[in-house]
Amino acid sequence: MRFIWISVVKDLRRWRRDPFTLAVWLAIPLALAVLMNVVFGGGGKPAPRGVLLIDDEDNTFASRVVSGVFHRDPLDQMLTLERVRREEGRRRMDRGEASALLVIPAGFAQAVNRGATFRLQLFTNPSQTILPKVIEDTVSITLDVFGRRRGGPAIGVKATVIPEKKQGKSFAALFFPSMLSMAVWMIANALAGEIWKERALGALRRLAAMPVRMAGFLAGKLLGAALVFAGVAATGLVTVRWLGGVPVASLPAAIVWMMLAGVAFYLLLLLVSMSASTPRGASMLGNLVMFPLALVGGCFFPFEVMPAWMAAVGRWTPTGWAVTQFSAIVDGSAHAAGVAGAVAGLAAASALAFLVTLMRLRRSFVL
Amino acid sequence: MSNAAEGARLVGHAGPFVGNPSDSSLGRNKAAGTGVPCSQMIEVEQLRKSYGELVAVDGVSFTARPGEIFGLLGPNGAGKTTTIGCISGLLAPTSGRVRVMGHDVVREGTAARQALGVVPQEIALYEELSAIENLKYWGGAQGLRNPLLGERIQKVLELTGLADRAREPVKRFSGGMKRRLNFACGIVHQPRVLLLDEPTVGVDPQSRMRLLELVRAEAQSGTCVLYTTHYMEEAETLCDRLAVVDRGKVIAAGTLAGLRSMLEQRDLLRLSGVFRPEAARAAVAPIDRIEVLQAEEKLLVLSLVDASRKLPAIFAALEAAGSEVRGTTLTQPSLESLFIKLTGKELRE
Repeated sequence: MRFIWISVVKDLRRWRRDPFTLAVWLAIPLALAVLMNVVFGGGGKPAPRGVLLIDDEDNTFASRVVSGVFHRDPLDQMLTLERVRREEGRRRMDRGEASALLVIPAGFAQAVNRGATFRLQLFTNPSQTILPKVIEDTVSITLDVFGRRRGGPAIGVKATVIPEKKQGKSFAALFFPSMLSMAVWMIANALAGEIWKERALGALRRLAAMPVRMAGFLAGKLLGAALVFAGVAATGLVTVRWLGGVPVASLPAAIVWMMLAGVAFYLLLLLVSMSASTPRGASMLGNLVMFPLALVGGCFFPFEVMPAWMAAVGRWTPTGWAVTQFSAIVDGSAHAAGVAGAVAGLAAASALAFLVTLMRLRRSFVL
Repeated sequence: MSNAAEGARLVGHAGPFVGNPSDSSLGRNKAAGTGVPCSQMIEVEQLRKSYGELVAVDGVSFTARPGEIFGLLGPNGAGKTTTIGCISGLLAPTSGRVRVMGHDVVREGTAARQALGVVPQEIALYEELSAIENLKYWGGAQGLRNPLLGERIQKVLELTGLADRAREPVKRFSGGMKRRLNFACGIVHQPRVLLLDEPTVGVDPQSRMRLLELVRAEAQSGTCVLYTTHYMEEAETLCDRLAVVDRGKVIAAGTLAGLRSMLEQRDLLRLSGVFRPEAARAAVAPIDRIEVLQAEEKLLVLSLVDASRKLPAIFAALEAAGSEVRGTTLTQPSLESLFIKLTGKELRE
């Protein structure tokens, strides 16, 4: 145990004094996140801009008055209006693509003229708090004006909140699990390649002539890497939670999951690296495994924005599986039993990878 | 050894042990953990290591005693590092047996390695770490704990002259300083047996002298030192006994005096110029007690007694044979001349 600890201290000290390598791998996903935000999420508007979907089945002067309210300042600065059919509107609401869907059923104008009771439907997005409330209040006030003009408040709004599980995600919430996973995978790849450095300087051969076990050395490396992954995950999660406003259902569980997944991926890349015959070959092989897995596995782009066929394939990759589990832990949709099962699976895969890596290290790589 | 001739012998690949296994006068060390008297700290018996058809070590046998510096001298690729690898347990012998302080390195690897200190040919140091941090890591890996670890670190830093740079990252060190720290990491745990694999390669003369002094000091404290080198000067000045190796085999072994005596006080005369090899051989053959070791178109190497007095006769004979001598080097009997005598080639080839 003591040798494992001194190995951890040794590696952490080395990495701390050569932060450039890790910083580079951390910078890539950060740069990508910024780029994505500029392209897809930003747009340069000073205020948050929502989308109001309107299904105007009545299509009369009266119904257009209701929707026209949202074209006036300041509402037109806050909302983009899109006319849709009810089914399409529901689908887009289910995907979390809009702040609200207002349905004005046919017969609205007649009801206004007759002074009959009538009801509009408003579906709101629970992941947004301000804009849906603004829309609901605006519609209520407008209908109240109609009601008072004809002598009574008989026109109402039936507001429906889309169930939580179908809620959409903000840009940050959508992309963050992918970006953090990419950062961890890239750091894992960089750390895995370091074994060649230790081999080249003869440290492994020197160690093999000592009474300590190679398993202790490998365990020390894993533990050191685990601490790095946990640190990166904690920093990322706390940053998006407090600065980005992304809800994180369970911070400790998310950190632990990312740490375990990082260790498993580190072991996989370590084995890949040691399978090569030169450091250059190891680097190429590591990138050849890591980048496609990251790309298809939802690290560059979330599954939500991928073509359906690619997302279906990606979810079956190790990276895709890990990212999906991580997203579920972050947004709170994961169940305790499911997480426990996933952790057990990850631990089993890691144990197997540890044994194979150790065999490779002992038998031939150290020489 | 009663005389020099007894102190050395030519060894074939199936040769006997060098040294006397029953001689216990040189040390009273006990095999680690067994309580068995151990006069031989290293015992290598018919060691063979092959990689497919390539035989790297071919039937090497020798022993080394406490307080002794035993040298393995040979050119690059002779099998020295492979032999060290087998002794340290890094490589599994194809056949033969290796014991360190009585422990078989294959069957009792951990016990054998506890007695060992290894200074590899590479500078096996973490360059981002300081000298102290490297020593802490390698000392800790050998099982040392504070406060002993701290005391030993301080001691070896002073011994190697690195105490004032101890907290600097190793990457700022010169090559000589790195070599000294590499050595320090090998002795920080006070090993009973020290394996040094060409520890002075690429080192400036000053650092080399310092390192050799350190090696002598280790031996004087009772440590058995196995020292591999291809520098014959180092082997001559440092080693108590030597095994000369070539192509994986021990071709001669014994004390320095014993090995020199095998040359019968013959000088080595190296002539450069333009020669017709066969004609040159024939021309010098009549000269008394002369032996042609090497005859090429540009080089002629002769072994002879009292060479300086015979130079005029040699020049005259070669001139008559149509040869042209442009340069002459006369060397007193040395390990290099022995190596050339035994293998027909220079040690640095």
